[in-house]
Amino acid sequence: MEIRNKLELRNISKIFLTRKSYSVAIQQVDLEVRENEFLVLLGPGQCGKTVLLNIVAGLLEQTTGEICIDGAPYSGLNNQIGFIFQSIGIMPWLTVRDNVAIGPKFAGKNKKERYEIAQKNIDLVRLTGFEKHFPRQLSGGMKQRVGIARAYANNPEILLMDEPFGQLDAQTRYAMQDEILRIWNENKRTVIFVTNNIEEAVYLGDRIVLFSSRPMQVKGVYDLTSLERPRDYTDEDFLEIRQKISDNMDLVLE
Amino acid sequence: MKGRKRKDILLNLLPLVSILLFILAWLVVSGGESSLIPTPTAVFERYLKLLEKPISKTSIPGHIWASLKRVLLGLLYGSVFGISFGLLIGWNKTCNRIFKPLFELIRPIPALAWIPLMTLWLGIGETSKVALVFLGTIMPITVNTYTGVRLIPKINIDAARVFGANNVQIITDIVLPSSLSAIIAGVKTALGTAWMVVLAAEMISAKTGLGFMIIRGTDVLDLPLVIFAMILIGVIGACISSLLTIVERKLCPWKSEIN
Repeated sequence: MEIRNKLELRNISKIFLTRKSYSVAIQQVDLEVRENEFLVLLGPGQCGKTVLLNIVAGLLEQTTGEICIDGAPYSGLNNQIGFIFQSIGIMPWLTVRDNVAIGPKFAGKNKKERYEIAQKNIDLVRLTGFEKHFPRQLSGGMKQRVGIARAYANNPEILLMDEPFGQLDAQTRYAMQDEILRIWNENKRTVIFVTNNIEEAVYLGDRIVLFSSRPMQVKGVYDLTSLERPRDYTDEDFLEIRQKISDNMDLVLE
Repeated sequence: MKGRKRKDILLNLLPLVSILLFILAWLVVSGGESSLIPTPTAVFERYLKLLEKPISKTSIPGHIWASLKRVLLGLLYGSVFGISFGLLIGWNKTCNRIFKPLFELIRPIPALAWIPLMTLWLGIGETSKVALVFLGTIMPITVNTYTGVRLIPKINIDAARVFGANNVQIITDIVLPSSLSAIIAGVKTALGTAWMVVLAAEMISAKTGLGFMIIRGTDVLDLPLVIFAMILIGVIGACISSLLTIVERKLCPWKSEIN
């Protein structure tokens, strides 16, 4: 069976100019993302994964290369793409409901319509009952649930997740990993998930793309579709693939 | 539980106690025929006399309203201008480059320094007083709005853009609410400046207003009148300030404490 490529990155490079010099953040990265797969981008800290994700989202412009959705090249912001941020970035002055409904609001939908969409997605991330709470009344994990619901409310075909659980404590992080898989299973989307945590990558990904340290290049692609979900951190196959990736991963002393 | 309740009552009584103690201290240091500090009773009697014989045929509420009108009008114009201007130089780089240096040069000039020019240009009527209050209030409001805009986390702007906000929506839905509490703090500061400016303006030329009451009291060495006017200013200022706090709570519900 031929699996369609949802998103293609061809020869993407990013060079940042500084006052006297320049630095290469991303060096000729090619990437194919299949429709509805859970793709994990794994790389050491500060390697440029976030830069790459920002380029795909249209928040940054690449220096070279092109990005295609369904085979058609595009540039700039794109309403088919949703984003879940590491620092969450939900609006502190809006209630949970208004935060989730922000995409529909910007799209000009009326109140009734956007609250219906919001409610559906609040239920999806299991925040029912917290619609009128403000973000500061929520825990870190709940805040990121709002971030997930907000991304889903815009009904994107591609979801970018930039270390979404990086700011959570270990316990909440494990719980949220299961949650994101559950939500993805209920609402299949093409997901690109960025992390620097090997265990998280192996637990979540259909495929893992391993990157080198800066300048960022593809070091290897691992297909994990044979590893059945729900995965077990102590399973033999799990540990084996984990070790394989670990041996190949650059060490960065920060 | 019971002990806690008793403590709460005591805590609520404390403000009252401190005001009473202040009046008591006033009683102790005041008095005597030639004293430079009139007694509270003298001030109260002066108030009763004011009811019978108003100054320049204007009642006490009339004087209050005269000053208050100048303060509020100036503050209104100052807010409209200051908030728009602050947003402009906070958000738009080109406008920032053009107007910020000019603003920084004009900012240190106290509003009171404008009195001669304003009087010459706009006369000694209401217009020049409102204009002076306007000049005094735009500075804190502009500075606070500007700072508020500058402090908006980039992530909120990025998120809004990713989820489809156009440039107008970024201003109305992100920039404004995000800097709202800084703006309100600016308006509060501006209120103090507004009273200062209006009194100074009234002391120079006016036939009504609380500043005029003070200058009349000074001219005829009627110290109880001066102190009475000062008390009025204090009470009204405190009332408006707490009114603004209520407005802030209504406008920024995300800031208020969890109940």
